[in-house]
Amino acid sequence: MKFNLLNRSRLLLQSATPVLETIAELWTAWSRQKLPLYLFLALCFNLIVAPVVYAASGNEFSHIQAWALGLLGLATLAISIYLFFVMFIPEKF
Amino acid sequence: MNTRFSTSISTSTSTHASRSPGGRRDDRKHIPKADRKGLYQRAIRASFTKLNPRVAVRNPVMFVVWLGTIVTLLVTLNPNLFGTVQAEIGKQRLLNGIITCILFFTVLFANFAEAVAEGRGKAQADALRSTRSDMVARQLLPDGRIQEINSTELRRGDQVKVIVGDMIPADGEVIQGIGSVDESAITGESAPVLKQTGTDIASSVTGGTRLLSDELIVRITADPGQGFIDRMIALVEGAERTKTPNEIALTVLLAVLTQVFLIVVATTPAISGYIAGFLDHAVGAAAGNSLRAGTSIAILISLLVALIPTTIGGLLSAIGIAGMDRVAQFNVIATSGRAVEACGDVNTLVLDKTGTITLGNRLADEFIPVNGHSVQEVAHVCLAASVFDETPEGRSIVQLAQKLGAKFDLDESAEGIEFSARTRMSGTDLNGQEFRKGAVDAIKGFVRSRGGQVPTTLDEAYEQVSRMGGTPLAVCQGNEIYGVIYLKDIVKPGLRERFDQLRRMGVKTIMLTGDNRITASVIAKEAGVDDFIAEATPEDKIDVIRSEQAQGKLVAMTGDGTNDAPALAQANVGLAMNSGTQAAKEAANMVDLDSDPTKLIDLVTIGKQLLITRGALTTFSVANDIAKYFAIIPTIFAAAGIGALNIMELKSAQSAIVSALIYNALIIPVLIPLALRGVQFRPLTADQLLQRNILIYGLGGIIAPFIAIKAIDLVLPLS
Repeated sequence: MKFNLLNRSRLLLQSATPVLETIAELWTAWSRQKLPLYLFLALCFNLIVAPVVYAASGNEFSHIQAWALGLLGLATLAISIYLFFVMFIPEKF
Repeated sequence: MNTRFSTSISTSTSTHASRSPGGRRDDRKHIPKADRKGLYQRAIRASFTKLNPRVAVRNPVMFVVWLGTIVTLLVTLNPNLFGTVQAEIGKQRLLNGIITCILFFTVLFANFAEAVAEGRGKAQADALRSTRSDMVARQLLPDGRIQEINSTELRRGDQVKVIVGDMIPADGEVIQGIGSVDESAITGESAPVLKQTGTDIASSVTGGTRLLSDELIVRITADPGQGFIDRMIALVEGAERTKTPNEIALTVLLAVLTQVFLIVVATTPAISGYIAGFLDHAVGAAAGNSLRAGTSIAILISLLVALIPTTIGGLLSAIGIAGMDRVAQFNVIATSGRAVEACGDVNTLVLDKTGTITLGNRLADEFIPVNGHSVQEVAHVCLAASVFDETPEGRSIVQLAQKLGAKFDLDESAEGIEFSARTRMSGTDLNGQEFRKGAVDAIKGFVRSRGGQVPTTLDEAYEQVSRMGGTPLAVCQGNEIYGVIYLKDIVKPGLRERFDQLRRMGVKTIMLTGDNRITASVIAKEAGVDDFIAEATPEDKIDVIRSEQAQGKLVAMTGDGTNDAPALAQANVGLAMNSGTQAAKEAANMVDLDSDPTKLIDLVTIGKQLLITRGALTTFSVANDIAKYFAIIPTIFAAAGIGALNIMELKSAQSAIVSALIYNALIIPVLIPLALRGVQFRPLTADQLLQRNILIYGLGGIIAPFIAIKAIDLVLPLS
């Protein structure tokens, strides 16, 4: 009984190893790729911004338009921050 | 080059090379020639590759345009994405689509400009790479055996044997032997160069060159991948290209301008919305809606792109790369773009007299007897003292003496006394007789040490030669001085005009010479240099550079000897001769493959041309904004009552925006040839250049877009 349990655990571990490796690989790739991460964070942050835009505009914009405008505002802010980076550490560009 | 060494007696600088560096520069080309076939196809491909955000992010202005293109593409797909459009949806989509295409081509054209400049550098690097290949080297083992290994396995400090016909496997210094080397692979000069051990400047050999005669034992001075040709390839290719201080300053300026216009454009909808609301009540809803239509996202992005300095943003890196390329075409390798740029800012040029201001080969013109001797007697002693001297000066003394009927029987007991910087004389010992020639002071000391007297007429002859601008060399036999040799120095033709040009540009020239004060002043006057330092030592070079730098000036100098290395490192622009020592080449920030010190003057011109080109295109780019402003703003805000500012009388807001953007995109490829070639250089002062640039590129930058935008507006079918 004990032996079977041990054997099954070992098999489970063996089959889980490639999956874990794949997850680790994905995590490494994910941490290397900054752009998707930033886009994801922007989309998440837009969940807060878009309702504000919608509320501020009255009935002028639809939900989708408010969401798009929120993203555009965030993109403009990001460009502005990027340009400040260029101004203060220009040798990196 | 040691200045005292060079001027007090026959120099060795011209002995090592059998070619003349003063030849026609136009004829010099790299061999093999850079293959530029397919350059434009490759550049077109590269301009698409550069759309990768990781690459695009390095150019802030064009990155903003690139992001703008993505946003306009989104509003082309869905014009109502950021708000319901006032105009007909189909028309709005067409306009957004046109704007997207133009913005995309603006980015592509900027990428193309950079890719063409890089492609030219890469073509040159490929040509150089073709000269370098793996080869078998004969490594000399410590026990004297020879082992054949691949040249890539050689390390610094290894010794190799090179025999006739072999390629030299890596950069190194000759430690044994003498031989002719074909350096045409790197210099383009077909004449072979004599390489030998023991001399300060003729012992350096470059990997990839071919030994044409005899055998050499070479000590390797560079590890694989660190050789001269490797470094050249990396530099020409732009692999090690970092932004220069001027480029950094300009990048900051462009980022500030972009930031300002981004804020202006981002806040425009709020302001125009407020005015539109006011117009709704005051004039009517139609006026308010017209203003709102003018601030759609696509139009705001167009306004932003038209206002930010895209022309210079797109051409900036191309100008820098082309500057490096121009220097490389001049057979000069710069270690960085910073060095090329520094050439343009140079205030003081420190130049050696011999070989730079005067022709390197001074020739004996006259023997002046002293102490009651005849010319024939002087000629005999001169011949005896120079019979072992293989320098051009020494050979000219021998020729003049033979012309005067002098004869000298050379037997096996004769021994040549070589020149040294310490003794400052050379000569021959024969059967206990000592024949010497050298600097007058040195010969005086030699004669006194042998118990002889110095005749008073010697100083008169010395001054006579000096006043003629020549170099006086005294000759003696044992303890008796026989006379003075007049070595005629010839100022290189055309130099006076070049120095006048430099003076007009505000560049001061200082001549350094080991000659006495009288000779130095005569040559300085004849050449037209601003200042001179006579009887200079190598230390004086560093002192003069430091004193000029202490006054806030940038100094350029040339050198080729090991003793020049500290001064080359100290100078803002140090130009080492390719024939020079490894130490000099490593200390300098530029290496002249033709070993022509006069080229420093040309480099100043190239550096200035680079800075002027950048300044001119920046002026043009910023001046363009005025016309684009007048094209776009009055038409999109016409409802706000500023329609009168539409001085170009453009048909409509759409036509005005598209015309301005088309001009904005097309001006980049139009200016690519100018960016790569550089604006025409004129030797003017900084103030005159500024006035001229403001007039041509400032005023031209205002007028040209007015005409071009109006012309495009007339042609466009938009209404």
